[in-house]
Amino acid sequence: MSSRQQSTVSQPDLTMDGLVQPFEGIRVIEIGGSIAAAGASKILSDFGADVIKIEPPDGGEARRLPPFPGDVPHLDRGGYHLALDTGKRSIVLEIDMPSGVQLLLDLARGSDVVIIHLPPKQARMVLAVLDRFGDDGPSTVTMTPHGLEGPYADHEEDDISIFARTNRMLRHSYTGEEPLRYAPYVPTLQWASTATSATMAAIWGRRHDGIRRSIEVVATEALSGNVDSWYIPWAFTGSNQVRSLGNQVAYSEGYFPCSDGYLFLSVTVPQFLKRLCEAIGFPELAEDPRIHDPLQQEEHYGEFRDAVNTYLSVRTRYEAFHELQSKGVLCAPLIDVSEAMTDPQAVARQTYVEVEQNAGVGVTTIAGPPFRIRGQSENPWQIKPAPLFGEHTAELLTEIGYSSEEQLALFRAGVTS
Amino acid sequence: MTSKMLEGIRVIDMTEVWAGPMGNSLLADLGADVIKIESFPRQSSITRTSRGVALDGDGPPWERNSLHHMANRNKRNLTLNIRSDEGAEALRKLISIADVLVDGYSAGTLQRIGFGWDDVHELNPNLVMLSMPGWGVTGPYQGYVTLGSGLDSTSGHAMLRGYPGQPVEEIPSILHTDATGALGVVQAVLAGLFQREKNDNGMFIDMSQTEAFVWQMPGATAEYDLNGRVPPRLGNADPHVVPHGCYRAGGGEASEASPESSEPSWVVIAARNDAQWHGIATASGNPEWADIEHPWSTVVGRLRARADIDAGLAAYAATGTAEEISDAISTAGGIAAPVKHAVSFLSDPQFAERGWLQSVEHAYMGLQLMPGFLWSISPDEASVEIPCGLLGERNHEILEEIGYTDKEISELEDSGVIGNVYPT
Repeated sequence: MSSRQQSTVSQPDLTMDGLVQPFEGIRVIEIGGSIAAAGASKILSDFGADVIKIEPPDGGEARRLPPFPGDVPHLDRGGYHLALDTGKRSIVLEIDMPSGVQLLLDLARGSDVVIIHLPPKQARMVLAVLDRFGDDGPSTVTMTPHGLEGPYADHEEDDISIFARTNRMLRHSYTGEEPLRYAPYVPTLQWASTATSATMAAIWGRRHDGIRRSIEVVATEALSGNVDSWYIPWAFTGSNQVRSLGNQVAYSEGYFPCSDGYLFLSVTVPQFLKRLCEAIGFPELAEDPRIHDPLQQEEHYGEFRDAVNTYLSVRTRYEAFHELQSKGVLCAPLIDVSEAMTDPQAVARQTYVEVEQNAGVGVTTIAGPPFRIRGQSENPWQIKPAPLFGEHTAELLTEIGYSSEEQLALFRAGVTS
Repeated sequence: MTSKMLEGIRVIDMTEVWAGPMGNSLLADLGADVIKIESFPRQSSITRTSRGVALDGDGPPWERNSLHHMANRNKRNLTLNIRSDEGAEALRKLISIADVLVDGYSAGTLQRIGFGWDDVHELNPNLVMLSMPGWGVTGPYQGYVTLGSGLDSTSGHAMLRGYPGQPVEEIPSILHTDATGALGVVQAVLAGLFQREKNDNGMFIDMSQTEAFVWQMPGATAEYDLNGRVPPRLGNADPHVVPHGCYRAGGGEASEASPESSEPSWVVIAARNDAQWHGIATASGNPEWADIEHPWSTVVGRLRARADIDAGLAAYAATGTAEEISDAISTAGGIAAPVKHAVSFLSDPQFAERGWLQSVEHAYMGLQLMPGFLWSISPDEASVEIPCGLLGERNHEILEEIGYTDKEISELEDSGVIGNVYPT
């Protein structure tokens, strides 16, 4: 059977103003309703893929996670949903019954890839069902905290517990103090971004060699395997330096007070230190072994810090930033989220963009493109509003050939919403 | 690299430090042929030269630097003095047969030496060129220099980290944008390759590593955008989830991790819902905590008893090691995890079951267990075909592929355009 030819889902017109998008003509199914699943398909959606979001009847984590405007909960108005579900089509489906499974199959038929983030038992069920398509079926990208099999497979995890398992949390603290997470859901969305990358590769591979692939993206592996896990320095040196030594110990990196806040300075290697000493008017410090000799640095850290503070105390963050950068010093102003959204570089590049949302939210400001493809008149990245809960249920059921009577029956039986 | 998904795609890696090199290794893991070009004779990569991170042993220190091994598997290494006429000519030949060029230098650097976008596009109209400065190719910060830790400052992320009330000077610096940037490389390159098929033309991609990261903070952005509030530092707490914290475990020390130190071990415990709380109550030997009569059995009851619950869990956490506590809670259906040190990767039963760590034999490091891949693929699983490459290890092989004779290669060596040992 050649199910790929049986597709009856129409391809929506994804071209606007003649813009050709890289993932135009590619269909992705996202199952799970989680932040991780929503994050995994977002960039594909914004660059032109037709992403069909199969949502659980309770809306799932992506729609339930605060913040909401005015702190009033609403399935269509959550900040995570509004930012991560842009441009997707929403169908609400109970997949824990044969009628739901059949709908899932009809939606998946002819799709390029299905991204699955479900508890392992459910995920295995969905994978088994998709296997009915054989080699013609969509590739799959399955997201689990620990993998589909193994002693931890069924352990429940969340953003902070996954993070704790990857070595970063311990490093993100000082000796004797409580280890700290990053900002909420940053680890989860890093895992999601890993799944995005694997998904794009699977689509590319399939288009070129025809091979249907089954990919697992395991949260602990996606995070532990990336470059900042610090396993390798430990493995190579056997170092007992379990944690970061802290900013008090010369000379790594740290935040130094300016007249209106803090400047981040990086002097991790001798040439960076030299540039800084010259730029702040103390070139002799760069030649002073008390400052550059690793064995003496810690004892004389105060002298170094005093020199830096003398320079920074009469300058704002941005004055010092521009002046020091003009001399090749690695530095950056420490700014909060509101300042980041109005930072001159962010404004000049439109790092954040406005989108007119559905659901009475009005215009929201969210992160803009993660990268910009030049060489045509504009970046083929387009932000569209996030869908209302179940906004496209009827549209999609019609596309896959369900009559209005059949759609009524599905709704009445609690299969769709 | 036995993965075939990107088979036939030739990538030139001209990046340093972490985000770029890791991104290129990920492309190689997916099956691309990645040629890493390293500066010669000048040692420019801080990951080859920084101090204190190389194991004592045989061979040149730049081959043993752990910071370099973190991000350079599965590539073919070529040294090249691209500021010499002969080196520039070799680079032009490589570019003319490549699909992708990844430029990790500050905005404008390659342009100044004749390898800007206009130059390379003329050499190879089908080339996808990705530039990835920290703050992007355009804008007032064009040409500014940074590591990932600086981008954490200007993204707003640094101000969200740390303990509530902690002095700013004590916020630890982190390098998360290197990890996000590495994945950004994969995504930008693949988007470019798809786009090339549609437009039948190469293109330039401008990736700001800041912009490749800030979409990971939608909650903080929305808190300000929707409600006008700058989110505070929360430490490990969650305003709507109790428990959600990190507790000092008993069993004394993280003995495996740090035998000589008095470092305590820590365990994370959380419950988003009543069922997970039931698991925690059961595991801790306090099943009554989840009885319907008990005030802690409900979401709101737990929110109102945050301090008492933290105290109760702190007492429980002290009764076992981080692993014992987390295993007991996880098995009972709650959320818990030991706060791991890297050494725990070696004893993790789940990693072991999945065979995640990879045995890699390196010329100077010997046999090492290295972190595994970010994904597992069926049927063509990724593998380490080439360990972290030696300096100039594939000079002959690569130059021969682009038409150089043995004699010409020897001349390049003699004139110092290529080499595999940095001059002292």
